[in-house]
Amino acid sequence: MSGLHVEVESRKLANGLRVVVSPERTAPLVTVGVYYNIGFRLEPHGRSGFAHLFEHMMFQGSENAGKMVHIKLVNSSGGVLNGSTHYDLTNYFETVPSNALERMLWLESDRMRALKVDDENLRNQRDVVKEEVRVNVLNQPYGGFPWLDLPPVAFRNWANAHNFYGEFADLDAATLADVREFFNTYYVPSNAVLLIIGDVEMEEAFTLAKRYFEDIPSIPTPIQADTTEPVQTEERRGTVEEKFGTLPAVAIGYRFPARRTPDWYAMSLLDHALHGGRAGRFYRRLVLEQQLAVEAAGDTGDPFDYNGPSQLVTRVIYKPEVTSEQIMAAYDAIVEDVRKKGIEADELEHVKVKFRAEYYSSLEGGHGSSFPRFGLMHYLACFTLFDNDPTLINSILDGFMKVTPAQVQAAAGKYLASSQRAIVFRLPSQKEAA
Amino acid sequence: MASSISKLNRAEIPALGPERPVVWPRRFRRKLSNGLEVGLVESHTIPKFTAELFFRSGNSVAATPGLAEMAATVARTGTAHRTSRQIEEDLRRWGSDLSTGAGADTSAVAFGGLGEFSRPLLELASEMARDAAFPVEQFEREKRQKLEELKIARTTPDFLASERLRKVLFGSHPYATIAPSEAQVEGYTLDSLTSFYREHYRPSGALLVAVGDFSAEKMFADIESIFGNWTGAPPTVAAQPAPPAAQSRRVHLVHVPGSVQSEIIVGNMAITRKNPDWLRLALANNIYGGAFNSRLVMNIREQKGYTYSPRSGSHSLRQYGYFSVSAAVRNEVVAASLTEIFYELDRMRSLPVEAMELADALHYMTGVFSLGLGTQGGIAGQLATVLMNDLPDDYLETYRERVRALTSGDVMLAARKYFDSAHAQIVIAGDRAHIGEQAALFGDVETFDAQGNRI
Repeated sequence: MSGLHVEVESRKLANGLRVVVSPERTAPLVTVGVYYNIGFRLEPHGRSGFAHLFEHMMFQGSENAGKMVHIKLVNSSGGVLNGSTHYDLTNYFETVPSNALERMLWLESDRMRALKVDDENLRNQRDVVKEEVRVNVLNQPYGGFPWLDLPPVAFRNWANAHNFYGEFADLDAATLADVREFFNTYYVPSNAVLLIIGDVEMEEAFTLAKRYFEDIPSIPTPIQADTTEPVQTEERRGTVEEKFGTLPAVAIGYRFPARRTPDWYAMSLLDHALHGGRAGRFYRRLVLEQQLAVEAAGDTGDPFDYNGPSQLVTRVIYKPEVTSEQIMAAYDAIVEDVRKKGIEADELEHVKVKFRAEYYSSLEGGHGSSFPRFGLMHYLACFTLFDNDPTLINSILDGFMKVTPAQVQAAAGKYLASSQRAIVFRLPSQKEAA
Repeated sequence: MASSISKLNRAEIPALGPERPVVWPRRFRRKLSNGLEVGLVESHTIPKFTAELFFRSGNSVAATPGLAEMAATVARTGTAHRTSRQIEEDLRRWGSDLSTGAGADTSAVAFGGLGEFSRPLLELASEMARDAAFPVEQFEREKRQKLEELKIARTTPDFLASERLRKVLFGSHPYATIAPSEAQVEGYTLDSLTSFYREHYRPSGALLVAVGDFSAEKMFADIESIFGNWTGAPPTVAAQPAPPAAQSRRVHLVHVPGSVQSEIIVGNMAITRKNPDWLRLALANNIYGGAFNSRLVMNIREQKGYTYSPRSGSHSLRQYGYFSVSAAVRNEVVAASLTEIFYELDRMRSLPVEAMELADALHYMTGVFSLGLGTQGGIAGQLATVLMNDLPDDYLETYRERVRALTSGDVMLAARKYFDSAHAQIVIAGDRAHIGEQAALFGDVETFDAQGNRI
């Protein structure tokens, strides 16, 4: 079995900022990322969507790099940039020719130490975010399905259950004072990790990180929100109207085990047996064999970037002549079979090969080919923020490869119980003839 | 490094360091005796490989719209030696992925996986290209599936707008159609699929690109032994009607009842990648709306907040190309957005780009071109572009110097020729009750429903 070993080192600066460096010098490119341990779950009550709105504000200017400078400087250095908000983290990243590394550190350190935005910037980005929500959710068939539809049905704790893209009234209510407070609380060195990946010498990277980031004042790590959920004792159901699409859809989410527990490794492989493309049991049975559905796919989201309650989710878009009872009966038959019999030993071995292959691809790209080593950066950040051990990048696969069929069956019995799931139907509205 | 010793002055933007040379990996090219062209690159950063087998025939040469796509879809569902289920389970145990598809100009089998399983995966790809079984029950299933997919696509604003723009620009040329009607799909027969497959999936004129963790010599030997005994003359392709001549600006509204946003696309005919002006247009496009740091994005997103995702692009099909600008905007600012879109186009046409903005754009173009070096897929994409478009062997190596030689005059020339604002066609997918009056400010309006009927 050919493997992959990633060279990686991490150090902590005096202000608590963790720095992770992974040199890889094949191409003259470098990827810089800053990950903050703050995501949707932690945004303030009455401010749904704020973590994401705030992410937009981080591109609006800092003390020495005013509005437009950030984007302009990355592009004009020959690079690309982006940011994204997740449940438990928010990231900012750039890939540039390696001669622009120092500029990227200058930009990232400037906005970590001194974000400088005004009301006009906030109004502008609030409008941009509303169009983002419209283009991705409100004006799209199956928009937000099921990532926005499931949490309010599945969870009881507001941190896990609210609208992460944000109610427009909440977005409108956000003030510059909210922006400042959020920044001062969560965007502090001790709550972040800086990643430098690609065409750089190990020592040079740490020297530069120190130069640009170490004088940022040390501020205590913020208190993390309580994301615990009460014990679930029965199945939960909900229905959402589909305004554009013509087919009914259903999403089923099961509570997933906590990261790096034995059950988590087993369930992650079972996820691939159930959802792994056309060989996955749901697609094979529901789409190819029984032909009840046109799509049956699912996953746990990103495998490594959750640090609180998460779900194993299946999305099924089914045919108009099929009833919701029929689709659920077919679905349940597949689940019950796995709970009773587990999966075959050779099926498990095949899933492991696929899992390993996908892991390598994620490390190499993971975000299309426009951000080389995005996945490597992302996983290193998650292993640092949530496990305090970036070297898991080289050992995490071992845990998956050791899983036995008996473990898979035991985990299936425990986690795929209907009392542990939430179901949301997305049903087309009855339309008048146009 | 010197800069690290001096005291940090945060007011000063760090200068770019000395540039590391961009070295494209060696390409190995060979043509098999049956005419199959092969291009390989070794890339050992991960223990995987990625490959794609291209045929130079797509939907535009098929008897019915979308037929090439359906033929590719069904080719995946069974071969003379394997059932659908065996195919999918084989792929999984080799840690591999495979997809088949067809665009306007090509049909393709794309595949990749762990390097240790490259040989069996090549064998499977070869079966799909040569011995697809076209099982009737899989064909019937895929046909029903396609009908449902089309229903959903025709509720998706950006699909509806793109579909209308292509009809407007290409008229009776086959490029006018990006997806079949439901009636056309109903009319597909197994015979029509297999005859397309037999005629167009042939080694002569086909291209196989592979990049990854292998030895090129060994990979050539495998390809020769797997594909070498495949025979077949290149397909013949009938002449096609020319697209209509450019017409003055009109508005084409696709009525989507209940839309809470409007999808705008403005477009006009431009050029293919083989045209000597291609890089000039690419540069003008980057300055106009092709990059985050472009005039259009700064204007209607960062200054005015009309939209999240404005962009422009120059699209090359084999015979023709077109230029388009798109933005999904809130209903109240459709007219305001169009005003800015045209203002920025006309500004590019009438005022020279300043030296600083030009230098920034040249840096951007040369930099992002090199990002492809960072992944096996990126290298494969660049290699396929060169080979499919018959570009010179040193295209990748000379790209940066050719870009750096471009001037403000080149930008003006490209803008005046290809940002054809007087003949640009305006397509809007949205609710006519909210945006009809705004649309009418920009020209005569024709309105269509989602199925393409005039209403």
